[in-house]
Amino acid sequence: MSVKETDGTSNYEYVTARVQARRAALFSDEDYRKLVRMGPSEIARYMEETEYESEVNALGSRYDGVDLIEHALNRNLAKHFNDLLRWADGQLYEFIARYLRKFDAWNVKTVIRGIYSDSESEAIEEDLIYAGELDRQFLDRLVESSSIEDVVEMLDRTRYGDALAAAYEDYEESGVLIPLENAVDRTYYEGLMSGVTETDDRATQLYVEFLQAEIDFRNARNALRIARTGADLDPADYFIEGGQLFRASELSQLSTSVDELATFIRDSTYGDDLSEALDELERAESLIGFEHALDAALLKYSDHLSHVFPLSVCPVLAYVLAKEREVDNIRAIARGREAGLSESEIESELVIL
Amino acid sequence: MLELAPAFVDAAALLAQEGAAAAPAIPNKAAAALAVGLAALGAGYAERGIGSAAVGAIAEDESLFGTGLILTVLPETLVILALVAVFLVPQ
Repeated sequence: MSVKETDGTSNYEYVTARVQARRAALFSDEDYRKLVRMGPSEIARYMEETEYESEVNALGSRYDGVDLIEHALNRNLAKHFNDLLRWADGQLYEFIARYLRKFDAWNVKTVIRGIYSDSESEAIEEDLIYAGELDRQFLDRLVESSSIEDVVEMLDRTRYGDALAAAYEDYEESGVLIPLENAVDRTYYEGLMSGVTETDDRATQLYVEFLQAEIDFRNARNALRIARTGADLDPADYFIEGGQLFRASELSQLSTSVDELATFIRDSTYGDDLSEALDELERAESLIGFEHALDAALLKYSDHLSHVFPLSVCPVLAYVLAKEREVDNIRAIARGREAGLSESEIESELVIL
Repeated sequence: MLELAPAFVDAAALLAQEGAAAAPAIPNKAAAALAVGLAALGAGYAERGIGSAAVGAIAEDESLFGTGLILTVLPETLVILALVAVFLVPQ
């Protein structure tokens, strides 16, 4: 898909009506309860009766079990998000496209990781999600390239070009992928909000607020991970600009202790939304639980915004998040069942509102 | 500036007298027709948003056709109510 001209008016009514209808078709708690008790092939069978029908049927002859589920999920995700871009006009298109660039970031990272680990190009291709702005042919050419240097060169003309070129030197020195991946993530997050932060339009303000929340949560998560592992890393290097909660200098100070960080978040504007998650973090000492609670809080916040402002980009973003969550949940159930986890263990991996 | 003021007042008084005597710029029926036209414009604008939302919803779920149709034509009542003005206004 290419970037289209974004003149003309936004068609919020049309897009949000379709998005709300699709949202209503997402799996409910009841569906998850059923799925948790099924094996991988049963899950695939169950998905065949839902809106994943066409994907499961199309891929059924090539894959089976968990692979079938995973490919069907990825393909369905790409289909829905491409639909969003197909429907939207004007500024709305731009907002959605900006947000969906997270799949570009995901794809670029997947390609780099795949080449780094000498995977077959077919194996890499299977993990790509064709929902972003980089088109399929370009991604396929990326996958075909023989070295990371080639990938960086091919991405030269895209938004990731400069950041990756700079990070490539670090990569050559250290031999680890972190600088490259970090460069991709940062480019994505910083490109999200450039040029829209100062506006009088309430809907755009909400868009910015939502993205700020996401960036804040991402920073909190990174800081917690660093604090928890006790690794000798400077969190300021991994800091993403654009949030309103942390500054780079604060973050490096806070990440030395989990308790201090938890207190800081509790005193912030997100304190009320996250108090349960923070309790969980202090009680169970489980980072995974906290990260799931962060996801749930973001999901709830996006839901809230989409109810307050039905004719804005917020319902679309809420749908994107909810859909991603559904795909992650189904994947977690399928993988969990395959690995023989118990029902309660799988349930603890799910993020359900 | 001040010496000009009485001249303005006179002119205004003259105009007021003339206006009262002559026929109104817009006749009664024409004003009513204008009202209907504006109401129709308003209805059209309202239907634009509702219609596009309804088409979106129907594209996802065909069973919403009835609901969508009803909601789309609801602003039409604006025009019907405005039409009453045409019959109420004297010639």
